[in-house]
Amino acid sequence: MQKKRIDYSQFLSLPALILFSVFFVYPLLKGVGMSLTNWDGMGKASFVGFKNFIDFFADERAISDIRTTLIFAVGSAVLLNLVGLGYAVLMNSSFRGKSLARVIIYLPAIISPLIMGYIWYFLLQPGRGFLYHAFQQLGLPDLIGNWMSSYPSALAVLVLVNVWQFAGMTMIIYLAGLQSISGDVLEAALIDGATPWQRFYRVTLPLLMPAIRINVVTNIIGSLSVFDVIMSLTEGGPGYATESLSIYIMRMCYGSRTGYSTAVAMILFLIILVPVLISMRLTKSKA
Amino acid sequence: MKHASKAVRYTLIIMICLMCLIPFYILLVLALNSPQRIFYEGNIFLPDFDWQNFVLAWNKSKIGTAMLNSALITFGTLALTIVTGGLAGYAIARRNTRYNKFVFGLLLSCMMIPGIINTVPLYTLMQRIHAVNTLWGMILVCSTLALPSAVFIYSTFIRALPKELDEAAALDGCTGFSTFWRIIFPAIKPATASFVILNGFGIWNNYAQAVFFLQSRSKQNIPQALSIFFQQFGGGDWHLMASTAFIAIVPVVVIFLIFQKQFIKGLTDGALKG
Repeated sequence: MQKKRIDYSQFLSLPALILFSVFFVYPLLKGVGMSLTNWDGMGKASFVGFKNFIDFFADERAISDIRTTLIFAVGSAVLLNLVGLGYAVLMNSSFRGKSLARVIIYLPAIISPLIMGYIWYFLLQPGRGFLYHAFQQLGLPDLIGNWMSSYPSALAVLVLVNVWQFAGMTMIIYLAGLQSISGDVLEAALIDGATPWQRFYRVTLPLLMPAIRINVVTNIIGSLSVFDVIMSLTEGGPGYATESLSIYIMRMCYGSRTGYSTAVAMILFLIILVPVLISMRLTKSKA
Repeated sequence: MKHASKAVRYTLIIMICLMCLIPFYILLVLALNSPQRIFYEGNIFLPDFDWQNFVLAWNKSKIGTAMLNSALITFGTLALTIVTGGLAGYAIARRNTRYNKFVFGLLLSCMMIPGIINTVPLYTLMQRIHAVNTLWGMILVCSTLALPSAVFIYSTFIRALPKELDEAAALDGCTGFSTFWRIIFPAIKPATASFVILNGFGIWNNYAQAVFFLQSRSKQNIPQALSIFFQQFGGGDWHLMASTAFIAIVPVVVIFLIFQKQFIKGLTDGALKG
């Protein structure tokens, strides 16, 4: 009988599997277990069943954090795509200085969102912020208000800063999408007598679907775990009004509610799973 | 008519560019203002050119150490993920066994999960292996977060390579590993470029993990150093806070400007494949 030789080179993926299992999969599974305990991070943990989850939904701060996180994510995704697509349409022709403009518009996206948050803090801080004084000097003192100290406006500022920072990133993807649309198709539509708006709405937009899908999904998923920009710009304030779930997880962990914080992480995980599954579904139906 | 629409387009683009640049200019103005400067006086768009601020900020914030740490973490993470992710991508693309299908499925399904989901249980693991407040620990954490993206990019690019490359290498007596290292890896430089571009700045700017794993001042990376400096020492000293923030963004801006052409290309290559 001939023994079948095992092809060892298939195991070249083993280092990656070990690294990923130890530092990602194992903690993820352990987190599921920890979320069912009252562990404080030091002493003994005891099993409390779903108490952490029940506590979470009874906590006003937690519910407000869910709302903040969802509004931030959906608001960011919608605006980022509208603005990014607008920029891309504007930039989608050859003109002098195009590559310079592209670099400038992309520039904010490479910088740490934490630092970006600090920069906008310098600009918008009530009373002391730079823009406040700039508008006063320009004779428009009423144009900038006390945005950071009330809830809906502070959250709106966070969304806008996020959009300002990452619009260049969505723009680059849309530009690539626009450039992949062949001129023939648009020309055919032109010959058929389509107006510019019809050409955009009926031809360009449907052909842009893959880019739209990538952008919407990555923006929503990325924004659902928002952490940096809120930490530096509002620290979750006023009160806990603009605190996101990620920040809540960290604060609960530092507040010796380790078991509870992992339960919050599980809830965030389930929330993020929704757009992930939808995107996988969409990709599958395409293929 | 054609002229008018062109003018509108130009004006809009210039306005967008200004909108992107003005916050950076204001940061520079604040960084160069003297501590005595109060906003109400004079033209606020013109700084005092107090260059001393940068020296003071550099010394007080320990941002230099943080830059070195960020550089080591970024370099270490990229090296580790390129090697392990490249090998895995090769195995997945060329040895499509049940085992490799499992590895690929596992990594792909975790690709979208952000790090914060498992950071707390990971922290207890890191404490046990004494990896908290070490650069190698942070490299391991960042590597696992970047690994799915590396494997995805490498396997996609390697699948597009002709199989004859492998066969020729096998005839020359190359094993699986040496085929990858000598033949495949040099042939997919665009994949490596794309991966570095998509992940490099994110690793350099990492804060959500650094806040847990790099608390000691000697080990902190740039965002963590900035946040601690602002909380503990900055207080009202906006000129020092601004000059520290300005120093902190210089390296990424310089690297971006040097590699901007490859950057935009790699970004579109990688993103549209995904």
